[in-house]
Amino acid sequence: MAATTLAGLALAACGAGNTGDTDAGILVGTTDKVVSIDPAGSYDNGSTQVQTQAYQYLMNFPAGSTDLTPDAAESCDFETPTEYVCTVKDGLTFANGNELTASDVAFSFQRIVDINDPNGPASLLGAMKKVEARDDSTVVFTLAAPNDVTFPQVLATSAGPIVDEETYPADKVLDDDAAAVKAQGFSGPYTIGSYKKNELAEFTRNKDYDGAFGTPKNDAVTLTYYADANNLKLDVQNGKIDVAWRSLTPTDIASLEKADGVTVHKGDGGELRYIVFNLKTMPGDDDAQKTAIRQAVASSIDRDELSEQVYKGTYTPAYSAVPEGQTAATEPFKELYGEKPDVDKAKAFLDEAGVATPVELNLQYNPDHYGSNSDQEYAMVKRQLEATKLFTVDLQSTEWTTYSEERVKDAYPMYQLGWFPDFPDPDNYLTPFFAPNNFLQSHYEDTTTTKLLDTERTESDATARAKTLGEVQERVAQQVPILPLLTGSQVAVSGDDVEGVDDTLDASFKFRFASLSKG
Amino acid sequence: MSSAEVLAAGEPPTPVPAAPSGSRRGLPPLARYLLVRLALVVPMIWVLVTLVFVLLRVIGDPITAAQGGRLTPEQIAERKAEAGLDRPLLVQYWEYLSGLLHGDFGRSLTDNQPISEVLRVNGAATLELSFYALVVAFAVGVPLGRLAARYRDRLPDVTLRLFAIVAYAAPVFFVGLLLKLAFTPFGWPSSGRASTSTLLTLEQVRPRTNILLVDAILWGDPRYVLEVLQYALLPALALGLLTGGVFLRLVRINLLQTMRAEYVTSARARGMAEGRVIRKVAFRNALVPVVTVMGMQVAMLLAGAVLTETTFEWKGIGYALAEYLKARDFLAVQGIVTVIALVVCVASFLIDVIVALVDPRVRF
Repeated sequence: MAATTLAGLALAACGAGNTGDTDAGILVGTTDKVVSIDPAGSYDNGSTQVQTQAYQYLMNFPAGSTDLTPDAAESCDFETPTEYVCTVKDGLTFANGNELTASDVAFSFQRIVDINDPNGPASLLGAMKKVEARDDSTVVFTLAAPNDVTFPQVLATSAGPIVDEETYPADKVLDDDAAAVKAQGFSGPYTIGSYKKNELAEFTRNKDYDGAFGTPKNDAVTLTYYADANNLKLDVQNGKIDVAWRSLTPTDIASLEKADGVTVHKGDGGELRYIVFNLKTMPGDDDAQKTAIRQAVASSIDRDELSEQVYKGTYTPAYSAVPEGQTAATEPFKELYGEKPDVDKAKAFLDEAGVATPVELNLQYNPDHYGSNSDQEYAMVKRQLEATKLFTVDLQSTEWTTYSEERVKDAYPMYQLGWFPDFPDPDNYLTPFFAPNNFLQSHYEDTTTTKLLDTERTESDATARAKTLGEVQERVAQQVPILPLLTGSQVAVSGDDVEGVDDTLDASFKFRFASLSKG
Repeated sequence: MSSAEVLAAGEPPTPVPAAPSGSRRGLPPLARYLLVRLALVVPMIWVLVTLVFVLLRVIGDPITAAQGGRLTPEQIAERKAEAGLDRPLLVQYWEYLSGLLHGDFGRSLTDNQPISEVLRVNGAATLELSFYALVVAFAVGVPLGRLAARYRDRLPDVTLRLFAIVAYAAPVFFVGLLLKLAFTPFGWPSSGRASTSTLLTLEQVRPRTNILLVDAILWGDPRYVLEVLQYALLPALALGLLTGGVFLRLVRINLLQTMRAEYVTSARARGMAEGRVIRKVAFRNALVPVVTVMGMQVAMLLAGAVLTETTFEWKGIGYALAEYLKARDFLAVQGIVTVIALVVCVASFLIDVIVALVDPRVRF
């Protein structure tokens, strides 16, 4: 080794004497992986992370805000109940020099629908019937339902990045990230320079950016990818990176809270962890018994214990399908079933419906998709349920590939799921779960709930909408088609000299590199 | 009486057939030996390649395994057709073999990367790590093995044998974690191949080898060379100590055996000092089995690299293999495992060549 070192040093000393050393700027580390830089081919946290920095959206959420603000758009509004019209700013260009026009915007949305990649976000555009450019600066979205107040928020989701019509193919995802980087169809706050998929991505400030994030507070950010959260923790602790963003383990976060030189930042999150009941296959002879069993389970769970013992406070108790921090969120589960386990109340639900105890529950969880702590979380759920002596729990785990196939085939009577919001709106926690043909496919369908959901989605008056949203939450808590357990806050860890992390940890779940600076 | 006289007295001699031209009899022993070894390597590679293909088909359909949860049956069928997995197994096998002959290992299902590109870039990183590990293994195993032999059954020998057993038996990721815990409090880098700014700088080196030490030397700044070696130290130790333990025991045993050989005794009888006997007479012969074992260690190094590279974020073949396994991307796994099998076969052949050159006895 010594000989190699000496030989290398001697050769290096005689080398070309290069002086073009690169400044990596602010260093951010993550364990999230990129599926594709091309928006048509991805709908995941790791890809969104890159897209947020490099692409421009029509509307976006500026740091610290959940109010939609024009980004590439000059303005957006309903022209008729089913036509949402956006005017694109004049003079916008992509990093490759091509002009960004309404035609590029229409192209970007239409190609997501046309390509319909299984990894892509086409499902987010279900409310859009068609999109077209009226002229160079006007784009018209024709919607399926009138006055759909959730659609404008879709513009800021994974379905919203604007790509360059001249360099992105209309019918397929750009075949690899090198092609996307080479195309330079970026008009966001940064362009991408050096790029090695899931190893390193270098973001350089786009001086021509004119959008919702404002002028970036740094010139460059480099994102480094980690396979092991422990290495991410060690590197932020030792100052090898400036910011660790997703996903440190609860134990590592607790340890870093006590460490010198780093600050743990927590912000609104909106991630929901919950149990789904399959209304067809769960125990109970009839609907009344099934409902009673769900209500008894709801009365037997200690969310505080899950939060503190398993997640060291990085997840907090959730008492509604809409997590705390979201607009119009209430806590009906706390009111109906109590904050702590109540065996008497649980027993009363079961006795009233004539359910024989102990009830045998078959509970499934997934060990490889929602973090390694799922093991502990569900072991504790089992213990809490069995502590009431009203239930016996057969706890089973299945790997994600099989799990995601089997859960929609009625294979699991009760099972774990988690949810990241697409946009910061309470509807994103309700319609996908409780509308007819929802993605849970748990056989839950309720006429009153469906009507309430239709009302809230098209209600433009905020107070009236909040009231309707409260009614949906209350109804869901009475029927318990899902049992919300915990909501996750966003956690980032930075060196003490890094500023701006708290500004970006808001409910829109967009980690904006433009907010970061070093003091 | 000679045999010729016996024959002359009895039946006429049977004519000896002339040796056909190009007969192996005409080849020198070394060439003959290498030819036989080479003839064995080719079917061995074919068997391995076939085995990998069959095993990865037996465990199920790769498309469903990698992406099944998100795809409709129609999309699965479409993906299968795109990847050629809807064709008869024999056709797939033929395409797979002809692809391999053209250096085409297919594309990964999860990130659509050409596997040949992953092998080229990550393979360089693994090659670099394996080199460092072998340097550590030799630096640790050979001198310590000599030391242990010299102090046979005394305290240094017992201590070194214990060390060898521990180094060999301890799981490589455990050693890696211990090293990280020991070094990182002093600010020693615990993961990656270099700091981010160095990686970005070395990206600009042309021609780029992806072997960072070479790239750093080509860049011409000693700071980068030092940094690359600094980052390499812990993973090289974690992986190299394992092999170092094997080398230590081998050198010790072989040196002790060689020391009992007649030519060594005669060297002593000629008055040669013990240190000189070991150094000049016994050592070279004792190294022959070490070189042989080195071939087998290539396989061990590659297996160990999966754990070491994951522990230290060393983005080589092992790291990629672990990531693709986690993603259940069995087409990517097939390509990588095939190459690992090929490397082991070729390494084993090359070791045979080296041993034949070093030790003339194996040629006969």
